[in-house]
Amino acid sequence: MEVSFSKEVSQLRQGAGTTFHGEGILAITKALLQSGVSYVGGYQGAPVSHLLDVMVQAEDYLAELGVHVEACSNEASAAAMLGASIHYPLRGAVTWKSVVGTNVAADALSNLCSPGVTGGALIVVGEDYGEGASVIQERTYAFALKSSMILIDPRPDLEVMVRMVEEGFALSEAANTPAFLQLRIRACHLRGRFECKDNIAPAVSRRHLMADPAAFDYGRLAHPPATFRHEKLKSEARLPAARRYIVEQGLNELFDGRRDDLGIIVQGGVYNALIRALQQFGLADAFGAGELPILNLNVAYPLAPQQIEDFCRSKRAVLVVEEGQPEFIEQEIALILHRAGIATRLHGKDVLPMAGEYSVEAIAGGLATFIGEHAPELPLAGGRDWLAAIAARREMVSAALGAPLPARPPGFCVGCPERPVFSAIKLAQQTVGKVHYAADIGCHSFATFEPFSFGHTILGYGMSLASRAGVSPMMQRRTLAVMGDGGFWHNGLLTGVESALFNCDDAVLLIMKNGYTSATGTQEIISTPDDEIKAQTADKHQSLVDRNVTIEHTLRGVGVKWLRVVPSYEVARMKATLEEAFSTDFDGLKVIVAEGECQLERQRRVKPWVAGRLKRGERVQRVKYGVDEDVCSGDHACIRLSGCPTLTLKDSSDPLRVDPVATVIDGCVGCGLCGENAHAATLCPSFYRAEVVSNPGVFERLLARLRQGVIGLLQPA
Amino acid sequence: MTAVPAFASVPAFDSLHAAADPQAGTRPLTILIAALGGEGGGVLAEWLVELATRCGYVAQSTSIPGVAQRTGATTYYVEIHPQPISELAGRRPVLGLAAVPGAVDVFIASELLEAARHAGNGMLDPARTLVIASTSRSLTTAERMQMGDGRSDGEHLLRTVREHSLACVAFDIAGTARACATVPSAVMFGALAASGRLPFPREAWEAVIRASGRGVEASLRGFDRAWQNVGGAFAPAAGFVQPPQSLPANAAAGFPAEVADIVNLGLARVRDYQDAAYGERYLARVRAVLACERRLDPEVAQGYALTRETARFLALWMAFDDIVRVARLKCSATRFARVRREAGAGDDDLLRIVDHFKPGVPELAGLLPARLEAPLLRWAARRRANGKAPLELALHLDVTRIRGFLALRLVGGLRWLRPHGMRFAREQAMIEQWLACIVDTGDWGLAHELALCGRLIKGYGATNDRGRDNLAHILTHLAVGAQPAAVRAEAVRRAREAALADEAGTTFDQVLREHGAPSRPVKAQPINFVPRRVQGSR
Repeated sequence: MEVSFSKEVSQLRQGAGTTFHGEGILAITKALLQSGVSYVGGYQGAPVSHLLDVMVQAEDYLAELGVHVEACSNEASAAAMLGASIHYPLRGAVTWKSVVGTNVAADALSNLCSPGVTGGALIVVGEDYGEGASVIQERTYAFALKSSMILIDPRPDLEVMVRMVEEGFALSEAANTPAFLQLRIRACHLRGRFECKDNIAPAVSRRHLMADPAAFDYGRLAHPPATFRHEKLKSEARLPAARRYIVEQGLNELFDGRRDDLGIIVQGGVYNALIRALQQFGLADAFGAGELPILNLNVAYPLAPQQIEDFCRSKRAVLVVEEGQPEFIEQEIALILHRAGIATRLHGKDVLPMAGEYSVEAIAGGLATFIGEHAPELPLAGGRDWLAAIAARREMVSAALGAPLPARPPGFCVGCPERPVFSAIKLAQQTVGKVHYAADIGCHSFATFEPFSFGHTILGYGMSLASRAGVSPMMQRRTLAVMGDGGFWHNGLLTGVESALFNCDDAVLLIMKNGYTSATGTQEIISTPDDEIKAQTADKHQSLVDRNVTIEHTLRGVGVKWLRVVPSYEVARMKATLEEAFSTDFDGLKVIVAEGECQLERQRRVKPWVAGRLKRGERVQRVKYGVDEDVCSGDHACIRLSGCPTLTLKDSSDPLRVDPVATVIDGCVGCGLCGENAHAATLCPSFYRAEVVSNPGVFERLLARLRQGVIGLLQPA
Repeated sequence: MTAVPAFASVPAFDSLHAAADPQAGTRPLTILIAALGGEGGGVLAEWLVELATRCGYVAQSTSIPGVAQRTGATTYYVEIHPQPISELAGRRPVLGLAAVPGAVDVFIASELLEAARHAGNGMLDPARTLVIASTSRSLTTAERMQMGDGRSDGEHLLRTVREHSLACVAFDIAGTARACATVPSAVMFGALAASGRLPFPREAWEAVIRASGRGVEASLRGFDRAWQNVGGAFAPAAGFVQPPQSLPANAAAGFPAEVADIVNLGLARVRDYQDAAYGERYLARVRAVLACERRLDPEVAQGYALTRETARFLALWMAFDDIVRVARLKCSATRFARVRREAGAGDDDLLRIVDHFKPGVPELAGLLPARLEAPLLRWAARRRANGKAPLELALHLDVTRIRGFLALRLVGGLRWLRPHGMRFAREQAMIEQWLACIVDTGDWGLAHELALCGRLIKGYGATNDRGRDNLAHILTHLAVGAQPAAVRAEAVRRAREAALADEAGTTFDQVLREHGAPSRPVKAQPINFVPRRVQGSR
């Protein structure tokens, strides 16, 4: 990737006595180093991508510390990496996006949790839940629960988040149990501050190697009969040890209130929203102090029953604020209270929404019910008025606007090499008929939005080909599966390609080879073009993904017989190749590799290069597409076939016409799709390609002047 | 060391709820930023936090970039605690992670629809929220992909935003950024500075930009322009720029003033398209409609709207798009100048223009008389039925080179051939059918709706065929019949709108059925695939 994290890397070096200012995920990264971590791994995914990105670029500094960093091929390989902490006193951390990444890692995680760990093992998961989430809405909590893992859900204040990383390692070691550290999207991108400590160079590291492997110990293998003992150890030794540590070190925070008969128990990650909701009723001040005592669970699993009992015993009623379903924490608290014979009324999902993000508004609604029932003397009117006013305003605006406003989902970047492929798929279906389309995870899933509206199913990252295995045999026409190179390496090669070949499936697979796992932040993969090639190539505009043929070799190696590699911008050729795939007599797996380098990455190369050449007065050629507005008919078929943000509308300057005409605005990178589509789809002839040459050569200039002269003589006004 | 600027000096923040709110003075200042991916919203949030931090305050920003960075809509949120750190005695205020509806102090949106969206989400409180909204539109895909005009009404959006704000400044943030060769974030930073809601001196804001180290000069230009636009005074912004409507005033003889401009434009269009005689034909056709309108609406209650709209669409239709017209337009000097402007080519830059043409058999055959066209089309149809792709000539014509230009000039000079071609004859016949239908209705409302159906005729190739088929269907099945004219007019209106709703014509067919008309005949479309063998069969 061409993004530079040099500033962030320098922040990792900050020592004691300095204040860190920056994003949550970077603070966590710094906290890992402050905890003496020996190795770090993971698989990228919003919102935790930066942890790994920064670590990878901090290579030099990490070498000084002896810390090893590994960009794993998927979450399963990252989780398996934590196996290093089973025998050895190594602190290790891995990271991924959850719940999807945890699903992929589940096998290794279970087998890690069974023997338990010697060195602290921390899994930093980006809990991709609620507003801005890009995956299915499920809780990581269930995994902690079923595998008896620790789940840390820190209050979103950098000071607390950093402390919980440090304590998380110690807790993991005290309980011989790996720990999740769960961060919601906004906590990862929260920009705040904390007071730094010095980083700790790990005792065992790449600079200080272990001489010998550990002695053989069957009890550390996740293999029967050891596994039967592990299961008992979890409940008899490890979780009790974790509970002790949580209480003794005060990991959960008790905030006193002015009254003692009511209280709130909250997951750490939701604490700030709870305080803001209380503030809306005037029940808390700017620092969180207020009317009701709050037990803030920075460790959401395991709970410490004694702590829960102590908090609840004196209270008439307690509200549990727990985001997501089902209400694991609330159920456990109910059980704890019941067993202890404590009659405190327990509320939670009976007054709060079962599903969805706990926004301030959602929590405030529950608070109004809870407090209204148990302490109606508190001043609730202000908050209730506020809630009513929001609802009224929404109705007013909705009535004023008439129709709902059009959504603005994410889409392909300007010049994206994947957009032309979807144009070709749209066109090819006119001749081969509509096809069942198995979609996948990645940038290409933006084709599910307008103007393409493609895809019947999404079953997971790299799963598209596998997900049509039951459809193909039941359908007259062939099916299409689309996946990216990221998905191919993450999972698709084995679950899809190998399975389809082994079962002699008749299917079409289209692989978007753009060279990076782009949707997660353009991280490099095994099929990314080498840095040397990028440096050597004179024309920085050029797509370089064709220089790495690992995917093609792999496909041929496993036995793919029908393989076509097509440059993705060549719409007509891609269309013809798709038509061939759907109509050929060959009845095995047909793979089309659409080759075109991620435009984001190319632009990061191109922009400084062009700027430099212009500054030096050297020849630069740039391309911009355009539409002749007097030729454009205002039907916008071109837009329905592209959706490029720079191909948009403007009022026609022809007073006779009523419909807006298409126009190409600034920002066009001259990818060529408009021209390709004009031909492949036989669109209107209004598109032109303008090539602008700055600082042309002398001969070039003379020739142009000559041509201009001749043309000028013959030209109508 | 300079004194820490105090939030108390900002009356708008402190006095607003001071009487009723015991938290006043400690309640955080909240700023919601609505931006699109790639506009630098993240940098803006970072700058705001750094600004507050440098000035001695606790600040926090959050965002949900995720995949929204890829051109989608996203928000950034900043909170600043209004007491200086020095007065906090080590206490850490609890700052929110997400904007709370009705609890936003300053809202800034880089795009107008996004501003309205947040008004719709209930984010803005007319008693509290200061709004800075861009008047610029970045059209959503849903708006752009419609076959007619799917754009939201900007004036209406802005009115809605204004109604829900304490005060509102609207200016073109995107345009200002372009003019200053910088990113919208710098302009938004300047607008926030000028809003006066954050008590930091201008130097402090600019110092943050300088410290950022990248594109500093351009960012400062954008900052300054926004500072001037917002000007601290929150003056109402200028309205939207309307598309130019300037027209020649001299009315064609015999036409009322209400339609003179359109008739003049139409006349000029068809004369330029063919010749003076063709212009006369245009005028004669418009006169016939005018005479009809005078019969149907003798009091001129409708202001000659029927004649006006017929004259508009008739001119566009008579100057239908064919290769001759396109070639003529493409080689004109004004067009070369326009491309140079649109491509942003400087005076010293060389410009090469490559045009994309792909004429097919029907386009070329249309210029030929019937006895030549028919066999050509039959041959093409046979090819198509045999599963072959239609025969088309894909051309990349460099019109800035002499050969390419001459080719275009040659085709553009074929106007003389046009009236002998079959396409010309077919268009005239259909135009006559449309006009006859309008004139024969005997009802102004129905005639007017039918005139507006001229809008369906546009484009080239398949688009043009589809529009003509739809119009023919409306004329044959909805314009006539036993039902009262008003009912038929309503049916025509709905069908016209439905025809522009989707390419497949699903909505159109549905409307046709609802009004008792038959669906359009299904067109044979060969598809080519290998059917899977049913198990057990041989």
